[in-house]
Amino acid sequence: PKLYKSIIEDVIEGVRDIFAEEGLEEQVLKDLKQLWETKVMQSKATEGFFRHGHQSPQFTLQLPHNFHHILQNSTASVVIPAGRGFQHLTAADLGASRVGATLTFPSGISYPIHVPAGVTLQTASGHLYKVNVPVMVTQASGNASILHHPAQQIFHPLGQPSVPQASIASVAQVNASSAQAAADTLQPQETAVQQTTVFQPNVVEKNHLEESASTSFIQQPSVSQQQLVANAVLNQCADSNEISQHGSLRMAVFTPEPSKGSSPTDPVANNSSSVLLDVEQQGGIEPQESVQQQVPDDIIDLIIVDDSLDDDTVLKYQNSIAAFKKMEPTEQMESNLRSEKYICSDIEGIIQLDGTGDISPREEMPRTKDMEENEFIGIIESEDLKVLEDEEDAEECDSVSNTESSSTSGDNEELQIDVVEEDPLNSGDDVSEQDIPDLFDTDNVIVCQYDK
Amino acid sequence: MASQLYRNTTLGNSLQESLDELIQSQQITPQLALQVLLQFDKAINSALAQRVRNRVNFRGSLNTYRFCDNVWTFVLNDVEFREVTELVKVDKVKIVACDGKNTGSNTAE
Repeated sequence: PKLYKSIIEDVIEGVRDIFAEEGLEEQVLKDLKQLWETKVMQSKATEGFFRHGHQSPQFTLQLPHNFHHILQNSTASVVIPAGRGFQHLTAADLGASRVGATLTFPSGISYPIHVPAGVTLQTASGHLYKVNVPVMVTQASGNASILHHPAQQIFHPLGQPSVPQASIASVAQVNASSAQAAADTLQPQETAVQQTTVFQPNVVEKNHLEESASTSFIQQPSVSQQQLVANAVLNQCADSNEISQHGSLRMAVFTPEPSKGSSPTDPVANNSSSVLLDVEQQGGIEPQESVQQQVPDDIIDLIIVDDSLDDDTVLKYQNSIAAFKKMEPTEQMESNLRSEKYICSDIEGIIQLDGTGDISPREEMPRTKDMEENEFIGIIESEDLKVLEDEEDAEECDSVSNTESSSTSGDNEELQIDVVEEDPLNSGDDVSEQDIPDLFDTDNVIVCQYDK
Repeated sequence: MASQLYRNTTLGNSLQESLDELIQSQQITPQLALQVLLQFDKAINSALAQRVRNRVNFRGSLNTYRFCDNVWTFVLNDVEFREVTELVKVDKVKIVACDGKNTGSNTAE
């Protein structure tokens, strides 16, 4: 406030000489001062004179200056974290100038799809994604912006939604962290990978949570497969039971995106899934979601289990789960691109894998992923997916997925269990990842000096 | 010379952005902008040292700690910042602390 003003004054005075040396006009110096003050005013809303209202407040970033960096860096509208109470930044402002993804961090906002441009913040601490990040995520097909919305929102609900399953809650937290990481990852991924990355972390955890998968979903959307993911996520989140819960979440997410065409068929699950799907759809993936929506839980289980998933359940969920499964393993993130395919193919792939008798989720998971990928390719109806991987697999998957759609929920549960086991394997990876994003994505940063 | 620690602050960032804008519009040269930033470093360092006297207490849970290149980086969770006048609670805060004595490794030069 006053201190800032006085510092600005001092600095301007100090540089005035320097400016003079350069032979610059006083006007330039004045411009600098005004620009500077405007930015400060807008970003911190400190009282200040000289606020000329510089064109549209780009700074709208309310968030601590750190956000700016984040936004800029993330470029992907996926701005994450800060759920903690970030102030809403007029995402529009920020996004426009920076990343294009406005950061809107509604503090404590429960998912309402904020579609405002995308800033999905994930609060690291258990909040999972309170922030409605409307945009973010998913780049998936490059729609990243679009995905952001849905994807982001999904996050919120995930963390927040009362995950029906107790396990989920625990997992959710884990996921939340992972989700965040995922979310964070999503962001970067958005640019790079379409979605899967984020989702995966969540998904993995979610699986445990089952329902909480919803968060995972969100991440997925980022994946080109988004659609699939969305479905999966929705499915996961919604868990059929939760669906209502998630559905709302998803819905929120989805609303921004529904254009994707994956119209969340299921009100509950679908909504969420649809949202996700939409997000994913962006990638161009077909809304396989509808299938997924049915049983978010199941799908998740399917995905998780990979092997354990029954064909039936797998099929249903595969679509969604596939996305998730892929996501779950930390590896998923790597294969974001693949995730898209996975979504479609995963499910199918899973089925097939199961058919082969690979049930051990852990062992299979890594394998399945590979296999799934291949399978997904075929399965993924979405054109985009195919592009990603071989189409051959897709074909196979399609047939498989179709049949499976009837997956049973019971199987899912089993799968989940398996997944849980697997998590420990991945948890180690997550931990390290969490630190990094947390460290740098923090909204609040204090800079100071110490004396030894 | 002075620590460039404060460039990544609201004040510092807005200054850098403004300078960038001026550079974009060809009103100043990058070299000049750099000079301005150096000047800013000095000004902010001395201002904080001389003008600020507030005292704030904070308490939270330490999530991570790091000490590298004479720079401490902490990440705290659920922190409560208490000042006489107000109380602020945040879920996560990152604290970056540089050595006050000799500015250890100065990237600038």
